[in-house]
Amino acid sequence: MFRQKLGIMLLMSVGFCQFAIGQTDTTSTQTEEEEDYSMYDNLDFVDEAAKRFAPAKIKGISPAKLITVGYDWQGKYDITAAGYTTSEGTFAEQTATVNSTQGLRLEANIPVISKNSLIVQVGARLWDINYDFDNPTSLTNPLLTTLHNNDLASMGLNSTIFKPLNEESFLLFQVSADMNGDYQFDDPQNFRYTKYSVAALWGKRPTDYKQWAVGLSRTYRGGDLNYIPVVLFNWTSPTKKWGTEILFPARAHVRYTVNPRNLLFFGYEAEGYSFRIGNQGQARPDQDFDDLEIRRSELRFRLMYERQIKGFIWLSAQAGYRYNYSFNVDQIPDGEDFYRGFFGDQEFIQENELTNPLYVSFSINLVSP
Amino acid sequence: MKKLVSVVLLLLAITVSGSLIAQDDGDRLVGVWEPSHGKAKVKIEKIGTKYYGKIVWLKEPIDAETNKPKVDKNNPDEKMRSTPLRGYRILKDFQYTDKNEWTEGTIYDPENGNTYSCIIKMTDENTLDIRGFIGVSVLGRTDIWKRLKMPSKKK
Repeated sequence: MFRQKLGIMLLMSVGFCQFAIGQTDTTSTQTEEEEDYSMYDNLDFVDEAAKRFAPAKIKGISPAKLITVGYDWQGKYDITAAGYTTSEGTFAEQTATVNSTQGLRLEANIPVISKNSLIVQVGARLWDINYDFDNPTSLTNPLLTTLHNNDLASMGLNSTIFKPLNEESFLLFQVSADMNGDYQFDDPQNFRYTKYSVAALWGKRPTDYKQWAVGLSRTYRGGDLNYIPVVLFNWTSPTKKWGTEILFPARAHVRYTVNPRNLLFFGYEAEGYSFRIGNQGQARPDQDFDDLEIRRSELRFRLMYERQIKGFIWLSAQAGYRYNYSFNVDQIPDGEDFYRGFFGDQEFIQENELTNPLYVSFSINLVSP
Repeated sequence: MKKLVSVVLLLLAITVSGSLIAQDDGDRLVGVWEPSHGKAKVKIEKIGTKYYGKIVWLKEPIDAETNKPKVDKNNPDEKMRSTPLRGYRILKDFQYTDKNEWTEGTIYDPENGNTYSCIIKMTDENTLDIRGFIGVSVLGRTDIWKRLKMPSKKK
């Protein structure tokens, strides 16, 4: 009997000891004992077939945004909408003042596959673009009345695929499908007006501080459809203070790192989409041209500040000069687009002019690990 | 009474041996591993009943700005910013589940000073899927680590 009691007590002691070991203080991040780290200098993989792949990022690059809630505001500017003639009469050229153009911008980019050998990210975007005209009752040109009555909306789905080929080379693909027009979000336009953009690049990442790539894109950055070469160049200085984040011609920025939680950028971004207007069979003054699209493209020269607010929540604030590259109108029957490029001679229905205001934009972002 | 004590002893023995088998299974995580970027090597050890990983090798051990060994200068806690990165424990508090997974832990990224929730999954004996995430697993990134041959201790 004594032996049995002793056995139980012994087992209980073992259990208690294990519990006590489990309570070891592990909060310290420093090693508890001196270790000869030189023994780790030359170690081979156990699996001899194991491969290393080029990572998607370089050191010092700004954090990728998973979810963005933003607001964009452009100051006062003038639009001169060109005149044109329909069977209903001639609509004269008209210049109107826009007090502001502003709206919410919601975006999400979620990695669905995220491995060393393949990264696939899927995203969605929703922009509201409101035109606040000065003296709207005086508007007569159909383009201006359409903007005043309906504003513009833009939403799209996109995917980015990063495929490293080995330790240094990689492929990068971007595809997007966008629906842009003067529709309302609760009554979107027909899917046949969806615009598709694609980019394919091949590149190298020779060091942890530099990656570059070259490729081709099918894009609406210039407002209308175009096929152009693209160049990616991301670089960070050895001290990580300076760098570049460039995907030319879409965007190019010089980065200054105050510290990893405070980043400054100077550069530009080209924003462009083709917006279908008057596209839902509604009777409009421009019914002779019921297949019109605004080829809207603007260059945003800007100073941008990004900082960590708390944890993975970052603020992004930018201010700059919005330069109008295109606000011309084309006729696109049934949404079947055509290629003009830089040298095509197809005439626009309207060639419009915009003056260039200052703009500001803010967003709160959830950033990626 | 004698029978009762025997049953208790038997149950305890089964519990203890089962727990030891589970622990042994979990100990497969112990070793030296290389993250995909190849810039570091991480030694995973067991302390108590949990698993921890510390940096034991850096491809670039010297900070280009200070010309001294790298320290954890991006840590949000100012007191930690002078701690050497070599020896720094970046994986903490992992517990083994019986599905080739170690959960309940965190991973620290010295590049930006952020700590993420983390799940480690062993896809084969020499490969780990390390998934760092924010809140929910879908908002995360997986890195694949490869096992390195254990060093022989110098005499």
